[in-house]
Amino acid sequence: MKMIKEGAFGPAEAIILLAISNIARLFLPYPRSLVEIGGSAAWMTPLGGLVIALAGVYVMSVILNKYPGKTIIEITEEAFGPVVGTLLNLVTVSFFMAVGSLFTREFSEAMIIAALPETPISVISVAFLAMGLTGAYLGIEALARVSRLSYPYVLGGISVLLLVMIPQLDIHNLFPLFGNGPLVVFGQGAISTAGITEIILAAVLVQAMGGAKQFRSIGFRAMLIAFGFSVALLATLTLSIHHYSLSELTLPFYKLSSMIYLGRFFQRVEAVFVIIWSIVGALKIALTLYGAAVSLARLLKLPDYRPLIWPLGLLIFTFSLLPTDMTATISLDLQFLRPFTFVPNYLFPVLIMIAYWLRRRGSSAGR
Amino acid sequence: MINLKNLLKMISYQENLEREGFILKETKDEQMKAGKDDQKIPPGKKEGSTGEDKKKHGRRSFRKPVPSSGANEQKSGEFDLISVFLEENRKTITQLYDLPKNKDVVIRNFTIGTAPPVRCFGLFIDGLTNTTLQDLLFQAMMAFAEQTSPLGRGKLVELVKESLLPGNQVVVKSSLRDILDGVNYGDTAFFLEGCSKALLVETKGWERRGVERPQIEQTISGPQEAFTETLRTNTALLRKLLKSEQLSTEILTVGSRIKTYVAVMYLRDLANPDLVAEVRRRIEGIKVDFVADSGVLEQFIEDHPYNLNPTILSTERPDRVASKIVEGKVAILVDGSPLTLVVPTTMYEQLHTGEETYRSWQAGTYIRYLRAMAFLVSFLLPGMYLSLVLFHHEMFPTELLLAIAGNREKVPFPSIIEVLLMEFSLELIREAGLRIPGVMGSTIGIVGALILGQAAVQANIVSPILVILVAITGLASFAIPYYSLAFSTRIYRFFYIALGVTLGFFGIAIGLFVHGILAANLKSFGAPYLAPTGPRTEAGADVITRLPVFFHEKRPDYVNPQDATRQPRVSRQWIKKDKGD
Repeated sequence: MKMIKEGAFGPAEAIILLAISNIARLFLPYPRSLVEIGGSAAWMTPLGGLVIALAGVYVMSVILNKYPGKTIIEITEEAFGPVVGTLLNLVTVSFFMAVGSLFTREFSEAMIIAALPETPISVISVAFLAMGLTGAYLGIEALARVSRLSYPYVLGGISVLLLVMIPQLDIHNLFPLFGNGPLVVFGQGAISTAGITEIILAAVLVQAMGGAKQFRSIGFRAMLIAFGFSVALLATLTLSIHHYSLSELTLPFYKLSSMIYLGRFFQRVEAVFVIIWSIVGALKIALTLYGAAVSLARLLKLPDYRPLIWPLGLLIFTFSLLPTDMTATISLDLQFLRPFTFVPNYLFPVLIMIAYWLRRRGSSAGR
Repeated sequence: MINLKNLLKMISYQENLEREGFILKETKDEQMKAGKDDQKIPPGKKEGSTGEDKKKHGRRSFRKPVPSSGANEQKSGEFDLISVFLEENRKTITQLYDLPKNKDVVIRNFTIGTAPPVRCFGLFIDGLTNTTLQDLLFQAMMAFAEQTSPLGRGKLVELVKESLLPGNQVVVKSSLRDILDGVNYGDTAFFLEGCSKALLVETKGWERRGVERPQIEQTISGPQEAFTETLRTNTALLRKLLKSEQLSTEILTVGSRIKTYVAVMYLRDLANPDLVAEVRRRIEGIKVDFVADSGVLEQFIEDHPYNLNPTILSTERPDRVASKIVEGKVAILVDGSPLTLVVPTTMYEQLHTGEETYRSWQAGTYIRYLRAMAFLVSFLLPGMYLSLVLFHHEMFPTELLLAIAGNREKVPFPSIIEVLLMEFSLELIREAGLRIPGVMGSTIGIVGALILGQAAVQANIVSPILVILVAITGLASFAIPYYSLAFSTRIYRFFYIALGVTLGFFGIAIGLFVHGILAANLKSFGAPYLAPTGPRTEAGADVITRLPVFFHEKRPDYVNPQDATRQPRVSRQWIKKDKGD
């Protein structure tokens, strides 16, 4: 079979790509849900999630190392056979589609709130879709390069935002220290923040990232960077706005950027952050679209993933317009997507491990 | 009756058949391309002869046109061998050059003063040769030849070459094609009676421009020489800087009708052999009748002709090309073009000049950052302004917003029309400034500055802030040292204007994302266009920040040269010495 041409990129690009993909959710209503869980201790919620995510990366790396030269799609099929394996892989594809659709919708809604109040949502969604299609069509190599190129601006922009908020921080907002209680903060918070896309995405892209050997270090570093930024951003949020008010904001990040006040001249610069977050949004959508297309192409054993991009993109666009409004989208995200993330990211790897273990036991018993 | 006919002619309408005068009729080649010849029946076959024949015609309703160049080759191929009879050679050449109609081709008959004397003729093109040198050659053969020993068969040519012709480059050729190529390029050919070979003597000496100061890439420090239109002068300018026996100059030819010589120069012990082979492969793979300039060749060999960004560096500075060759890159020089191509190249490199290297690293870094800003401003500023004015006015401090609003109050156009008007005017000034005859040069300044700047503002057609803005954009664009890159930003600017005016900063973000990803996807002869940032390769000391020269230890990673080390870790060995003391 002709292999899918994916191109290749180095660990530096891979780390940045996964970190930026993870950070994308910070620009959406996601931090607000964490504040609702953790209260004044919202900044601690990602700590538990980080532990789970690192464990997830570890398990995935163990699996990938057992099947060198293969991606998770082929591994799943090999572990469970063609019927069950294909079904599980279809779940993975539909997971990418769900993430793509919900992120397209949420980013479009966020853009309407932040910058373009009178623009129809379809126009913004189409623009995001166009960026996603371009990115996915040009391939993961170009996406990795562009994320490497834009990271000084994205991560630098967030860092600058956090720095310039220093004058407005109020340490009293951090108390009570454990917010709604350690159990809630670390338990519920961990489950909420561990719902990431990047483990399965990295497992699909593993061959382009330089093989299974590098997977663990890339995954760990990407998770540390992403969760580090989450903690910093949530800390700045809770320090600068009291968590009661914070839990009423739809886009806390946007609110934070609009609070910048450095003298008469530098104020209300939130529009600049619109550029950063649309680029991050486009990257995320392009990545999930790419992930969906490549997974499906590998599943169907096609020599090229690109013919799938347009139909899958169109599906993402259509699904993104299905929720009635922003509230429906957010509740879908909370009630459907976040539990769903655990399936391909954590459940499947564990199942594959069990299958691998059972098979080995079976074959050794047969001997 | 005759009178009646004449009378009728006088009063009735007669079509004037002569009216159109000269008409350029279609040539045979064009008619064949149009497929008209298909209907012709081959000689010796009757109409509708065999069924097989019909089938052939039916299946393929057009005949592939024979390329005219191919036909020519065949024609000249008939005469490719030089005859032993002088007269026959003369006849062939007379026929090939269409003599005596062709007035600048000269056949000079003479006799070599040997014993017995040998009849010869020289062939050259008047104006392309150095007459002083030619006089010397004729003198040597006609007056000073005193060879008396009997000559063996076929030895005469060797004798003339060895003892009689004082030219610095004399070659013996037996192919008429080679002789004609040489003569067409300014050499003089000598045909001798009884010899099936001819001599070709280097006598190139056409009128040419001297080596002058750079016109496009001026710098304050560094060498002040630029390439000229003569290939040999250009290769010599590079040889002068790169004094190494490892420097190779391969000469290739491009063009089937008119040959253009293309020199490929590189350091054998440094340039990646795959890169050299790829350059050779692309140049040799061009099928075209004529390449006029390096700009045309560039379009034939570049990786991404549909992207605006240039993926080949072209420069008029020998020092720049030399420094690139020492990095392991390959230079391509085209005869007749004062611009040399260098591959591979990156976008960052296109924003460099020699100036930063020749000055202190602090000055160099400062200039580079300034230029990086200029690069962004050159395509982003008008679009950003429109986004701010139309979508994000909250970003302006109140005083500035009031000032802008006050200025705009009297202007009857929407901002986008204003911006497009000014941008269009600036583009016009640029284009007109280039095309205006030199003697009228000062006119453009008056027209540009007074009419479009001051008068437009006074007439309330544009607001003053916009004039400033467009002027800054123009200046920023001029600060980009590579003209092709600057040109691409001129066009990109209009995309950003369109995006900014429709979707504000979100539109700008769309532009940046697509622009970025398209640029990240580019390759220049196998090297990523955005190296060393996208993809991340070993950055080296020379990207935007220009570190001190003694930190430039490695050659650029993306070139993959045979020797990556430029200098040892401690290049200032005297520091070590001081420590030891």
